[in-house]
Amino acid sequence: MITVQQVVFALFAVLTLGGAIGVVAARKLFHAALWMVLAFFGVAGLYLLLEAPFFAALQLFIYIGGIAVLTVMAIMVTRGIMKPKEPVFTYAIGAAGTALAFLVMLGLFIFKTPVWDVAAPTGEVDPNGLRALGQALVSPSAYLLPFEVASVLLLAVLVGALFIAREKE
Amino acid sequence: MSQYALIGVYLIIALIFGVAPPLLAWFLSPKKPNPYKGEVYESGIKTFGPTWIRFKPQYYLFALAFLVFDVEAALLLPWAVAYLWLPLYAVIEAVIFILILVFGLVYVWRRGWLTWM
Amino acid sequence: MEQEIFQLSYLQAIVPELLLLVVGLLLLGVDLVLPEARKRELSVWAAAGFAIVALASPLAYLGEPQFVFGGMIGSEPLNAIFAFIFAMAAFLVALLSRDDERLEPSGVYYALIAFAVIGMDLMVAATDFIMLYLALELTGLSLYLLSAYDRRSRFSVEAGMKYFFYGSVASAVMLYGITFIAGLTGQTLYLGVRYLFASAVMPAWFGMGVLVLILAGVGFKVAMVPLHTWAPDVYEGAPTPVTAFLSVTSKAAGVMALMRLLVWIWGSLPSHAEMTSLIAALAIVTITLGNLFALRQKSFKRLLAYSSITQAGYVLVGVTALSPMGLTAVGFYLAIYAVTNIAAFTVLVLVSNRSGSDWLRDFVGLQQRSPALALALLVALLSLGGVPPFAGFVGKILLFAAALKSGFVWLVGAALANVLISLYYYLNAVRMAYTRAEEPVEPLSIPVASRWVLVIATAGIILGTILAYPLYHLLERAAMVWF
Repeated sequence: MITVQQVVFALFAVLTLGGAIGVVAARKLFHAALWMVLAFFGVAGLYLLLEAPFFAALQLFIYIGGIAVLTVMAIMVTRGIMKPKEPVFTYAIGAAGTALAFLVMLGLFIFKTPVWDVAAPTGEVDPNGLRALGQALVSPSAYLLPFEVASVLLLAVLVGALFIAREKE
Repeated sequence: MSQYALIGVYLIIALIFGVAPPLLAWFLSPKKPNPYKGEVYESGIKTFGPTWIRFKPQYYLFALAFLVFDVEAALLLPWAVAYLWLPLYAVIEAVIFILILVFGLVYVWRRGWLTWM
Repeated sequence: MEQEIFQLSYLQAIVPELLLLVVGLLLLGVDLVLPEARKRELSVWAAAGFAIVALASPLAYLGEPQFVFGGMIGSEPLNAIFAFIFAMAAFLVALLSRDDERLEPSGVYYALIAFAVIGMDLMVAATDFIMLYLALELTGLSLYLLSAYDRRSRFSVEAGMKYFFYGSVASAVMLYGITFIAGLTGQTLYLGVRYLFASAVMPAWFGMGVLVLILAGVGFKVAMVPLHTWAPDVYEGAPTPVTAFLSVTSKAAGVMALMRLLVWIWGSLPSHAEMTSLIAALAIVTITLGNLFALRQKSFKRLLAYSSITQAGYVLVGVTALSPMGLTAVGFYLAIYAVTNIAAFTVLVLVSNRSGSDWLRDFVGLQQRSPALALALLVALLSLGGVPPFAGFVGKILLFAAALKSGFVWLVGAALANVLISLYYYLNAVRMAYTRAEEPVEPLSIPVASRWVLVIATAGIILGTILAYPLYHLLERAAMVWF
């Protein structure tokens, strides 16, 4: 019996995989970036199915809203890259082989790991999960230090990257 | 899971609204193409230059700055949800988090790297 | 989750990092108000700030080893010692940067050094995978940006790009390894993971698989073969003071993070003999490859790049010991290596200020141009080569003794053979400096900031030998905490 969940999962899986294939197969880099948005969107849907709405929101927020936009911008400002070109398929077979080998190894690793069964999800998802995460992020006995370090990291990136990428003063 | 059903239905309806009109037009409209009709501007003005041009690199600076604050917002989201349950010092910590980045913003702004040229 | 009252001792444990943040922000602030003509003064500001951080770093140890911030980092004597070493390295590099004429002075440069030191302090102190990853990224991103700092130079930008691409892939692989640990154990604290590993719930091959993934991120920082490919190009392309900085500090932080992971977690696995063999094999390959490439270099900067790969290999020999003695030796060697390498790079900066390039042949006649500079080069290179009585010799003896005691006779034998090979290119550079130039040469004066760097670094190389016993004793007591 096919449940609604399975149908929705299949839908998002197709979106993710289709988007990913689009990224590698697109002839123009610009189109590849747009395909990437589709793949990101599919992943966001998968997060929702896993009852992780916060991660789904982050996926939309950071990956589509931030990273995909940044990628598109990077392509738009790069010299000569907007021109449609013949796709470079020199390493296509090697790349596909490597990816396949990695996939097989990963599958073996995951399915052979016996503890995987033990860690199966149990019971209800904590409705206050996001609040608990928020409290943990600023709690000195939890993740306060990484939280503040993240701020320093963002500051370093902001001033450093703009210094290097700035126009001539 | 059921609370997302509504969003799902909404998404499907939105999709139909977006896709249906062009599809309808495609099926219903008579197709008699000619070279003048296929031009970009119906007013008859010719396009010039390539469409795929390179944009000013400065766009990228703004995208970069945006991404930094995007990530900041994402990190502050759970904190905002927990806000009512937090002691005072936890609020101050987040304010420090914000101030560090505000300092960065002030710095790049004062240096004029965000001035559009 | 119950909330805990904020403890002031937590803040004391991160005093160096807090001060570094203040120094970084202040430097950016000073940069805003300082007129363009006086921007070179920033290096003095930065050096003063780093000196204060170095002096304050002993405060980070709270008197007895303990976890702070919910186990994210530990407060240990070793962390305080390394916070001191990193701050000192930043101090020397800040002074040195003043005299590099090819470097555009800016607050961003020194602020990025401060942020990188925060990352490295935390890499050494981290006792949690999330903390480790963030510290690694903070270090990495600051250093990528510093490598690309000289944006007028194509080589510098290329160095930044290469460093960034290799580095992000390496840290992504490491993050992937961490997700396995977090997903399967529900833990990111080192001690929690160690407990689950040791209780044999995890099969041994799983532990090894995850270790290989995590090695990618940490080994990249160490420039361990096969993750060394970025190093020569980045070291050559980056501004020379940046190269001096990242070749000593990020390596040291990477080695210490690796050592802690091995001692705390993987050393407790029943099958850790395979793991130490793996590290031993990587160490000897790293040493040999670095040496073979260094032999063929015409550029002094590139020579130092390959030499620093070799030097990291020597340190890994000490890591394989996984004993208090090994940890002590690693700490000693990293400290000595920091001052030695900075001395060598300082000479390079001063010589290439005049010649405009990094070629080895520019060193011909250095003894006539500036006897003091030639002498500093001699001391630094002999110490790198492990010639007595300089500190590099003592450091190598300690590393090899620790490995011998843990039974790695073949490894020490192979490393010793490599020490002999490395003498060839070190002595070759010294010979160049002491060869008389055929045409008349103009004297080379040493600017005041660099003079201080050279005096301090050379003093460190010599004092490392004279004070070897108390230093060793100090480090040994600090190292015992881990075992």
